[in-house]
Order: sequence, then structure tokens, then C-alpha cells
Amino acid sequence: MARKRKRGETPSDELPMTPMIDVVFQLLMYFIFSIKPIDVFAELDVSRPSPEKQQQEMQTPPKLIRINIFADGFAINDLPVPPAEMERLLFKLAALDRNQTIMIMASNVSPHEMLIRVLDLCAKAKLTNLSVVSTN
Amino acid sequence: MRKKYPDAGMNMTPMIDVVFQLIIFFVTTADQQNKEADLKLKMAMAPNGVAVEKKDPRTITVDVDNKGRVFINRTPLTIGALKAILGNAVQRYGQTLPVVIRGDRRTQHEAIRSVMDACSFAGLWRVKFSAVKEKNTSD
Repeated sequence: MARKRKRGETPSDELPMTPMIDVVFQLLMYFIFSIKPIDVFAELDVSRPSPEKQQQEMQTPPKLIRINIFADGFAINDLPVPPAEMERLLFKLAALDRNQTIMIMASNVSPHEMLIRVLDLCAKAKLTNLSVVSTN
Repeated sequence: MRKKYPDAGMNMTPMIDVVFQLIIFFVTTADQQNKEADLKLKMAMAPNGVAVEKKDPRTITVDVDNKGRVFINRTPLTIGALKAILGNAVQRYGQTLPVVIRGDRRTQHEAIRSVMDACSFAGLWRVKFSAVKEKNTSD
């Protein structure tokens, strides 16, 4: 037996869910396709002159390795080094003493990428005492 | 007494549709704004660098694009303005403020040097260079 409709009752009080689910799926598809993985960033630490005199005195290096970065290549202690050899030589230096000071002297016209490359190789060789100096 | 309007309940479906369309519109346009505001820095790769996990909230990030222009929070700055900003930051937070330089890989060192000199001028010595450890985006 059919239920008798009460007075004032509308035929369908329920919200139709189908269109809402359709839109939610559209949104879901949009976010799935538009999401982009983000690059992982690294930070390469360098030493810069400290304004405090005490720290400046403490930074007197016992041994100093100079790495020159030119626009077209590298040099270690004024000896030109091919880019492919840099890693091997830095590992050799690191094997002698990891705490030695590496002074990276970047030329004004050298691309920033080369400085990052040297810093990255130093990080790989676990050389931590790095100073960056700019030259003309 | 008979009811005058048998179906007076408001139909919610079109309203929800429009709301979702608005959400899609704002999400897409906001994304485009981010893309426009992005300086399109192509940073050098440093797969052996230390990944950034915890960042000092006081860190000042200075961007240098491939033409040597300097930005903080996408605002172009002259070196004089950068020095003034760094000087103010030092007065407020001290000289232990970390500075991260995000330089485009093609920029000449001269531009990076001017930022480093501005840091030295303000007495900031905790300078780091930012690079990409793992590349996930296509560009």
C-alpha cells in the first residue's frame, strides 16, 4: 500500500548527488593532471669574512689550496686543470686533509654554474673549509 | 488548505556547479600568476649538496637572474637598495642572519659578487649558494 503524502511535503527533498560527484571528479582530474613535482634544492655553504675580529684571527688557515675559476676553465694552485680532472684531484686533496682551507677564486666573467660545480665537487669530496673570493 | 507552491525547495545543484567552476577558475589563474612571477631561474645542478630540510625562518633569499638583475621576493632591486635592506635586517636580527643566493647558472660571477659584497657591507657572513639537487620539473 502506497504511503500517503503528508501536507506540504515536496515530491523530492533530497539533494541530487550525481552532478556534484561529476564535478568533484572533474576537479580531481584537474588536480591530478596539473600537479607538478617540485625540484629538491641544495644549499652549498661557504665561509665569508666575519665582521668579528676574534673569528677572523681564528680563521688563519694552516694549509691553503687555491682553486681558480676562469670563464673557460679551472686551475688548482695556478696549474690549469681540465674540468674532467677536477673531481679526481679534489678527492686526492681530500684524502690528504679534509680540513684544509680551499680558497675558491672566481673570476668576474666566469659563469655562476662553474662556481656551483666546484662547490658541489668539494661537497662530494667532503671538503668543508671553503672560502669564496672574487677576482677581476 | 492546499499549498500554493508544491515544490518550494531550492535546487542546490546549479549553485554547486557554479561554485566549483569558480574554484577551477581561481585555481588556474592563480597558477598562471605564479608562473608569470617566477623569474625563470635556471639553477645549476649540485647533486652532492646538502638538501634543504629545515630553513632558518630569518633567511634572506636573494635571486640573481641571467642578466645579473637582483631580486628579493621577485622585487627587482639595485645594489644600493639591497645594501639598505640587508643593513635594516642586520639592525633588527643581528649579523648571524643567513643569506641564500639563488643565482641563474648562466649569470656571470660579477653579479653574484655584487650580492656577496652587499652582504659583507652589511656585516652578513653566513652566505650560502642555492642549487638544484634533484631535478623533477621538465624545463
